[in-house]
Amino acid sequence: MKGLSLVEAGYRYPSATAPAVQGVSLQVAPGEVVLLTGPTGCGKSTLLRLACGLLQRHGQGGVLGRVGLDGQDPATLAPRVRVGRVGFVGQEPADQLVAGTVADELAFAMESAGQSGAEIDAALGPLLASVGLDLAFDRDPRTLSGGQTQRLVVAAALSAGAGVLVADEPIAQLDPRGATDLLAGLRTLARDRQLAVLLVEHRLEACWPFLDRVVVMDAGRLVADEARRDIVPGHPLLGTLRGLGLTVPGVLDLADRWGLAEAEVAGRLRTAPGRGEVTGEKAVAAEAAAAGRGEEAAAADRPVRVRAEGLRFSYGDDVVLGGIDLCLRAGERVALLGGNGAGKSTLLGLIEGRLRGRLSVHGRVVGVPQDPDLALFQPSVRDELAHGPLEAGHADVAGTVAWAAGALSLDPLLDRPPHALSRGQRLRVAVAGALSCRPDLLLLDEPTSGQDHDQVERMMRALTAALVEGLLLFATHDVDLALRHATRVLVLHRGRLVADGPPRTVLASLPASLPIVVPPLAALCLDAGRAPATAAELAAAVSRGPRPAGGPP
Amino acid sequence: MIDPRTRLFLVTAVGVLAICLEQPGALGALVLATLLPLAVLRVPGVWWRRGVIGVLTIVWSTVLSQGLFYAEQPRVALVELGPLVLWREGVRWGLVQSLRFVAVSLAGLGLAVSTSPDRLYAAMLRLRVPFGLALMATTALRMVPAVGQELWTVRRARAARGRPAWRRAPWRWLALEVGLLRPVVARAWRRAHALAESLDARGFDPLAPRAVRRPLRMGALDGGIVVGVGLVTATVVALRVLYLLYVGEVLYVPALRGVYGFVRGWL
Repeated sequence: MKGLSLVEAGYRYPSATAPAVQGVSLQVAPGEVVLLTGPTGCGKSTLLRLACGLLQRHGQGGVLGRVGLDGQDPATLAPRVRVGRVGFVGQEPADQLVAGTVADELAFAMESAGQSGAEIDAALGPLLASVGLDLAFDRDPRTLSGGQTQRLVVAAALSAGAGVLVADEPIAQLDPRGATDLLAGLRTLARDRQLAVLLVEHRLEACWPFLDRVVVMDAGRLVADEARRDIVPGHPLLGTLRGLGLTVPGVLDLADRWGLAEAEVAGRLRTAPGRGEVTGEKAVAAEAAAAGRGEEAAAADRPVRVRAEGLRFSYGDDVVLGGIDLCLRAGERVALLGGNGAGKSTLLGLIEGRLRGRLSVHGRVVGVPQDPDLALFQPSVRDELAHGPLEAGHADVAGTVAWAAGALSLDPLLDRPPHALSRGQRLRVAVAGALSCRPDLLLLDEPTSGQDHDQVERMMRALTAALVEGLLLFATHDVDLALRHATRVLVLHRGRLVADGPPRTVLASLPASLPIVVPPLAALCLDAGRAPATAAELAAAVSRGPRPAGGPP
Repeated sequence: MIDPRTRLFLVTAVGVLAICLEQPGALGALVLATLLPLAVLRVPGVWWRRGVIGVLTIVWSTVLSQGLFYAEQPRVALVELGPLVLWREGVRWGLVQSLRFVAVSLAGLGLAVSTSPDRLYAAMLRLRVPFGLALMATTALRMVPAVGQELWTVRRARAARGRPAWRRAPWRWLALEVGLLRPVVARAWRRAHALAESLDARGFDPLAPRAVRRPLRMGALDGGIVVGVGLVTATVVALRVLYLLYVGEVLYVPALRGVYGFVRGWL
């Protein structure tokens, strides 16, 4: 058959007693876009590597069942043939760069396939355009932003004309607009080129409109395989997703909980009782009201942690920050939003002191880098959490370790080596290590990366509780996270601060030109005059009030 | 653009010259020459500052250790501080050794930051370097700047969570320094794994002939560089060999007395 097919496929790692993946039968036809999702560690990445033949060729473990690319086993195909059948995109785009220029990066697979120089040169422009990139061909890929790199890697994987694309979190580093553009591009390629796409992604909300099917894995096995158009409120898959701790697109989730059609959610949000009962809603409403009365005066009592006036920063001729005025105070939880390359990480670097700039910072600053691995240098999680308190000479080191571990749900992992954990767990260890230092300013760069929804919620609640007198500043693409956990939002665009204020106020009036997209459920909440909240919170609060006449049963 | 084979030749020439030169002045000139590519590449100022600090640290520590522990005779004391004596010959030997190391390191760094791995790989294959060795070498070179950056990030992260490294017992400081390598090694392993997967997924086959979009071409500039640098290197090697024959009492040609003097005084 054409496309990708797996029949009772599985894989057992050499040292494992049980297969990491087993009994998976799955087909992805040409033109289809299929999402593979499941909790962290359930075997999704293993299955992807099996699907494109990587494990068969290089793994030391045992392969079970059969895999077919257009009916042929990928392990038996010569590399120059295989590259024209399947493209693979891994999790870390920067690590997948093999060439020194954008053109050479795109050309690599075509060279492998034996295409001529003229053919390759003719294909470069359309390839870049297909992923929404407009770059100089001679640019060094290492100078691209994370989002640009991710798109380039996708284009490079498809450059030899592969009929199947297998991608592991291809939008992880993209801002919402960038993610939508890339997924729309893939959707178009699937339709126009009859490309079969199998992708793993945690951001279900972003992917949902572009999917044909949703496949769910748990503990190495497929537990569901449904056409996306069939997944409507009341569908059992929604309960399965929630049971596995996965996100369900917000409006669909709420409609399912309320027993409504998705189109009816907006009306119910406007008319339903229970406003003010949703977690955090009173606080947000009070904050908005305070803003109207001159919130700055009320907050002026708090000590200033960061002050910048006309802060500028550039890498050579490339101006990254072009005059930022900023005053951040203790007790604030500040979300830093902006598209790829807006200057978020640079601003964090300046505050942390990694980069030099003219701003004043007061208090102890601890930052968790975008790559949490680089903050983990102790042999065990316990030592990692104890490092800060020991260095500071705290009296109760064990107590601090227990507190930080409890806050980030790390108790069962205390004696494990940090680098042996999953990416999400490593991130939580890095955050807990920073938290155990009792910082005055805690800086997080993309704290949702590699974590499922429940983990992120727990982490942000723990940080909120732990940093009552501290300042939490986190850069994120997750607008929903900012709406639910920040007391203030800063929006950067092309190195300038274009918005600064309470989350609701800022996000309700964002210009459409910014690459920031308010999630549909949050947008409906804002339209209805409610505080943005999760579907579970809204459902719980509203179910306590009487239902309006003519409403759902 | 200089052909990658020419760049490999230049690095080799620097290595040969670093071995053949023994005068600190000549080696200093060689170090300056290896800085040229980095200057052309417009390396950011912060890296220059770090590089200068690194070079000075290497030179200073080597000079000091060699100066203190030099045991050959004859030797002349430069400074005496109680039982500690800094020997002039040791200082000179330390300077020579450290400048050799710096010159070769800078040449390698210049190659790493100026040449993409695939071009370097293509050049090595054209020079008939075994494919496994070529791939390993290019991958290692590619990782040099990234590993340096990561080590710096780890140090920053550690510094933010603790006292300055030097404010502790030496063994604790050493243990901490070694521990800093842990995340860098783990990250390097992950990166190598991802790169290997990427190469494989893009049809890389070291045993199969491969189309090349931009075939390697050596132009007039490459020819000039190879001939010029090759002549200089060959001359230095020849002069050094003649000098060694003379010093080893194997061959003495009276007409070459001026050459011997030049080698002793300048090379």
